[in-house]
Amino acid sequence: MNSLWVLLWWVIIVVLGYWVYARHVAKNIFEIDEKRTTPAKMYMDGVDFMPANKNVLYGFQLNSIAGAAPIIGPIVALQWGWVPALLWLGLGVFFIGWLHDFSSAMVSIRNDGDTFGALGYKLISPRARKILLTFIYFYLLLIACAFGHIITSGISGNAALPFPLLVVIAVAFLVGHMIYKARVNIITTTIIAIAVIFFSIWLGTVWNIKLSYNLVLVCLLIFGYFSSILPVWRFIQPYNYSSVYVVYFGIIAGVIGILIGHKPMTLPAFTSWSIGMGPLWPLLFVTIACGAISGWHSLVSSTATSRQIENELDVRPVTGGAMFAEFTISIIAVIVCATAFADKAAYIAKVGNPVGIFVGGLGGAITSIGLPLSYAKALSGMMIIILALTVINLVFRFMKVATAELVGDAMSVAKNPHIATVVALIITFVLIKTGTWLYIWVLFGGANQLMASFALLLVTLFLVQKSKNYKIAIYPMFFMYATTVCALFYTSFFKLIPGALAGKKVFGNLFAAAVAILLIILAIILAYDGWKAFKKHKAGETAAPAEAEKVTA
Amino acid sequence: MEEKEKDKKKKKAGGVVGFFRDFTYGMATHGMARHALKTRSSMEHLFILITMGDMLGIPILPPYYSLRLLPHVVPQITTWKRRMLREKDFVDSMY
Repeated sequence: MNSLWVLLWWVIIVVLGYWVYARHVAKNIFEIDEKRTTPAKMYMDGVDFMPANKNVLYGFQLNSIAGAAPIIGPIVALQWGWVPALLWLGLGVFFIGWLHDFSSAMVSIRNDGDTFGALGYKLISPRARKILLTFIYFYLLLIACAFGHIITSGISGNAALPFPLLVVIAVAFLVGHMIYKARVNIITTTIIAIAVIFFSIWLGTVWNIKLSYNLVLVCLLIFGYFSSILPVWRFIQPYNYSSVYVVYFGIIAGVIGILIGHKPMTLPAFTSWSIGMGPLWPLLFVTIACGAISGWHSLVSSTATSRQIENELDVRPVTGGAMFAEFTISIIAVIVCATAFADKAAYIAKVGNPVGIFVGGLGGAITSIGLPLSYAKALSGMMIIILALTVINLVFRFMKVATAELVGDAMSVAKNPHIATVVALIITFVLIKTGTWLYIWVLFGGANQLMASFALLLVTLFLVQKSKNYKIAIYPMFFMYATTVCALFYTSFFKLIPGALAGKKVFGNLFAAAVAILLIILAIILAYDGWKAFKKHKAGETAAPAEAEKVTA
Repeated sequence: MEEKEKDKKKKKAGGVVGFFRDFTYGMATHGMARHALKTRSSMEHLFILITMGDMLGIPILPPYYSLRLLPHVVPQITTWKRRMLREKDFVDSMY
């Protein structure tokens, strides 16, 4: 089948999802009112609460939610065939994904811009906040491990990438210095940065540097340490700023390449209901997380975006629009990879290195616009590694803060940023070296989707509290909850623990299984609290805050 | 009147070029701008604390200088109070 037919599926989902279903929900369920004052206006402080133009916010939201996961997930899920992957991507974003992002922002907006920690405390139970924090910590750990392996295997497997990546890191420091210290005009700085980066990608194709897996892993952890410790303006921001253009260009070139090349889908449409990783349900639904639905988005929507929305009418284009854009990125990933291999065996041989698959696929598509294959491949590799490094940039920083929040009161040493970062780096190193990447990816997807269930639970409770039709949120919540818990259960009890008992990667498999079981226990506690809160809200009461409980006790 | 306002808004948005300009700014720079504002805000908090210290019973600066600085602080007191008193949690520190 020609890949252009996949674009028809994309068009149907976007048109019906964004312009019909999303509009209906926004108008009739959430009763969007352009005259209602938003927290950005009501509590404007010029910092957190500040109205922003919807197009600017759209770019901000997309940049905050789109990492490498919407690309990697579909690539791995092609093992079940591209039809199941496309169906889940389309139906997932249609019924759950956009709704999750949109309603997370709306709930926060209608609650004075409260974050999910505060909303969980108010709407579910006081301990929901702590559960959320624990979720986030292990979610971050799994992200660090999943993306750590992707980056390490990608760089060590492609000798064209180390040189331009070193240049990008150097350029990031330079850009930070030029903007904040030397006060050079930002346009001049940008032009210099873009020119140097794109030139270095070409040089990388000439000056190949072959690095071992272990060396790249150590370099990556050093990179993570400095991203966590250095001031944000010194490295993270200039890095994100100067590298975003490579991603931007890569996506545009990829889309044009797909349209010009319109190659046939060579991988099988459907392989089997059950593969080595496990059965299609529930595994596929957590393997593809971002692109269909991702819990991370709810944190962005309910924290940064909800406090900058100028008008309730902007919520749908900003949050829903960004989600459909991420869905588009996943569709591109499916097309370029399903058209890049001669047969299934060639694809399966590379599935442990998704960066390699993506480089071959997108690189091939980009050659349709006239770029040489070596440059196109290096550009594709840079695009995916840059996206993954953007995630790594933030993960250890967040883990450092989460460690201080979680155990800082009990152990004051956890508040030391260097110690908290080093502990996070060591755990990551151990899990990457001793674990099995495919299962860590499933656990990462599971943690991500559990966060999405948590967000949908909050939305359900909000709708119940306001006496609105909560069925649009509760059914997706049930689906995501059941799917995720089953996926975590299956992976830990049918893959990780038996693997460890058979003597394969004993420590890593047991460690990963322990994380999965912990996530399941937290999910069960949350479900219990959620059920109690649901009954309370249904009866017209509100959850009592912890202080009040303590006083009465 | 409303139609005129809508037309004005459309012109302000700048059409397709305006969309891509704003979108690119949002993707590449908006986060940096927000962080710069946050840094400035934390500096202002310190400034306000120093200036207002003696009013809270903590004599940080000699009263003469506090009084000289007071006019610069007064316009920010409302948002300062709101920011200081607003409940914060871990998620706040992420974005």
